[in-house]
Amino acid sequence: MKKYSRRDFLKISASAAALAILPKVFFAAKKEIKKGPLVGVARGKPAKLVKAAIDAIGGMEKFVAQGSRVLIKPNIAFAANAESGATTSADIVKQVVELCLNAGAATIVIGEHTIASAELCANKSNIRSAIVDEEKVSLLLFTKKRQFTETTVAAGKVLTTVEIASELQKVDVIINLPVAKSHSATGVSLGMKNLMGLIWDRNFFHYTDLDQTIAELATVIKPDLNIIDATRVLTDGGPGGPGETAVLNTVVASTDIVAADSYAVGLTPWYGKSFKGTEVKHIIAAAELGVGEIDTARMDIKEIKV
Amino acid sequence: MGLEVGQNLKVKKHRIIRWAVQLFFLALFIFFFIQTSYISLINSPQFFFSFDPLILVITSIAFRAVIAASLLSIVILVGTLVFGRFYCGFACPLGTLIDLADRLTGEQPAAITSRQFDAVKYLVLVFLVVTAVLGSSFLHFFDPLVITEQALTLIAYPITTFFTSVVSSVQPAVFREGVITLLNLLVILGAGFFVKRAWCRFVCPLGGLLGLTARVSLFKVKLMDKCTKCGACESVCPVNAIDAQNLKIDSGECIACLRCVYTCQEKSAQYGLRLQPVGFSVTRRQVLAAGVAGIVLVPLSRTLLYGRLEARLIRPPGAVPEPEFLNACVRCATCMKVCPTNGLQPCLFEAGLEGLWTPRLVPRIGGCEKNCSRCGQVCPTSAIRKLSLEEKSFARLGTAVIDRSRCIAWEQDKVCLICDEACQYNAITSRTETIQGVRLTRPYVDERICMGCGICESRCPLDGRSAIEVYSMGEERKRTQFYVTPEKRRLRDSTLIKDDIPSGFILK
Repeated sequence: MKKYSRRDFLKISASAAALAILPKVFFAAKKEIKKGPLVGVARGKPAKLVKAAIDAIGGMEKFVAQGSRVLIKPNIAFAANAESGATTSADIVKQVVELCLNAGAATIVIGEHTIASAELCANKSNIRSAIVDEEKVSLLLFTKKRQFTETTVAAGKVLTTVEIASELQKVDVIINLPVAKSHSATGVSLGMKNLMGLIWDRNFFHYTDLDQTIAELATVIKPDLNIIDATRVLTDGGPGGPGETAVLNTVVASTDIVAADSYAVGLTPWYGKSFKGTEVKHIIAAAELGVGEIDTARMDIKEIKV
Repeated sequence: MGLEVGQNLKVKKHRIIRWAVQLFFLALFIFFFIQTSYISLINSPQFFFSFDPLILVITSIAFRAVIAASLLSIVILVGTLVFGRFYCGFACPLGTLIDLADRLTGEQPAAITSRQFDAVKYLVLVFLVVTAVLGSSFLHFFDPLVITEQALTLIAYPITTFFTSVVSSVQPAVFREGVITLLNLLVILGAGFFVKRAWCRFVCPLGGLLGLTARVSLFKVKLMDKCTKCGACESVCPVNAIDAQNLKIDSGECIACLRCVYTCQEKSAQYGLRLQPVGFSVTRRQVLAAGVAGIVLVPLSRTLLYGRLEARLIRPPGAVPEPEFLNACVRCATCMKVCPTNGLQPCLFEAGLEGLWTPRLVPRIGGCEKNCSRCGQVCPTSAIRKLSLEEKSFARLGTAVIDRSRCIAWEQDKVCLICDEACQYNAITSRTETIQGVRLTRPYVDERICMGCGICESRCPLDGRSAIEVYSMGEERKRTQFYVTPEKRRLRDSTLIKDDIPSGFILK
């Protein structure tokens, strides 16, 4: 057996220590790049999706404080049930409501400015089944201009002022709860498109520049939490349907609306073709306005199976 | 004196009971009016129309088929045959409204003692029968229940929703042609300034029909021989049916309100079994004149304001074919009240003079919701047929046409597509073309799938006239057959033309 001198021993020890430390240095460098927004993605049993996705980004308690007033904005703009893929599933809304209540929310308002007549939309979407506690949870359908307040859009080039739901100013937490679906004009309808259900005059968006105005709206209405219902996705024929639906049983959650939307674009092909968030005009426009992160490589994506 | 006090008490008691009964029926009528709404639990038509013998007679003749829902009104005819015109005195909602208005217009205006105009209502009835036989219905101008229901919908409902919309998500109802209804109502109620119950006495053909029946009724009011001819009964009779000098009461005119019976101090005016019929006061010449008026007015109504040129006359889903529809529709406006989008509006003269007040869809105000078939469910005469939701969704109302010269997607390259978004049947497809290097998405209507519901027209973001409009071309009107065919179902389910990849995506 070879005898090691003290010097040899020290040399070997030093090299070994260096070798052991080196990868850590590399990994540390890699982690530096990965500091982007957290995106929680849950796949699996529909009944557990919302909690899993939100737990992945810190749990509901992180967003909803004791005694807070919460606005939940589902997409029930059309008189269609969740089976059609055109509206947020009432069951997903119910899961969000329950999580908010568990986190200590004092009041929860489910708000929407529908496209089809309000009462029909409420009935067809079965949204009232999400009202698990009559005292704390209520449905607020925006049907009157006086329910909106004019707001300036500082970053807006096309959209300089917009009438947004006054309720937004009365709540502590805004939870954006869209359904992922196709859209014949904007390509996809996700988190940012869903915010159009919180304004009064949608026509202005359509007869100016729809993609740009959607992005500019996202500089004014800033949800604290975005939860995309991709349990059943209308992959063409949207936004109203009928069209092809894909059952993905997926929920995406993030505080970054652009990141959530951009990630969700890649969940499934649209109109028979695969796209990335970086190929959708209104998401690009929002990223350019600095609303959020569009590059999935820069996101901290946590995927969970339930 | 003692007797007088007792008499006054009796009169008072009778007045209270009479008002209670009248107001009860008015309240019942209004209750049925209120509950015929889009979000209603009971979901029945205005119940009173089932008890309207005038609809049973006139509409059945004009429609050439018995209006089954109104067969119940035989009860009223039989009741009148026994008890007289109690319906007019107690149950008629318009009669009660007129009584209320008459109270407002003063206690006792100078009554017309002459009875020469009393016959007019019988002549109106003759006129209605003649026109119905010739194939035109003019019932809606004269039927008291129709007038009341229509006034409630076109006048009272917009007023109430103006206020309820403040506290609920309901939109205030608007009806463009309500002005004629309002004038009609003001004339009917305002007539009380001159003669009490004037409309009932001189015009109402339902009163005429019940009057004819009451002439041979078993129970009548009669003045006994002990009558002192004091004239007290005459002065309280609201319809001037009593001739105390000659001890005569015209039981055709008498509305069995029994004011005279309770007023008479001698107990001479009595209500009881009287078998001999009262003579008919209408001359042959008058009947002939009314008949001739009807004979002339039917062809005249088809030439004056000729209305078959209107290309945008959209009827409610399930409306029977047009000539029959005009005859079956009683213009009660209940369909317009229940329409959740307020799109059903009364016609002025778009369908000619004959089509006045008939419902038409004005898509610019509101389209026809796919998930609703309430108009057919509340129609009292099935002029709009009762269709299941699915059946209704296949009843074509017309076809949408895009005006490319005004559409902002076509003319101004805007990413609009609101019509495509709104289309309930996916009949509008978005096709994307590359023009001078720019991808432009534009709407196209697939006329094979379009049901003419007009939701697109209601949503088009242009001010004023929409750039997509529904024309009645392609409309389907069937009296009995159904609307769903395998071919139509196949067309709808197959989604023949899919949207192109929208311009919202960047193609690499």
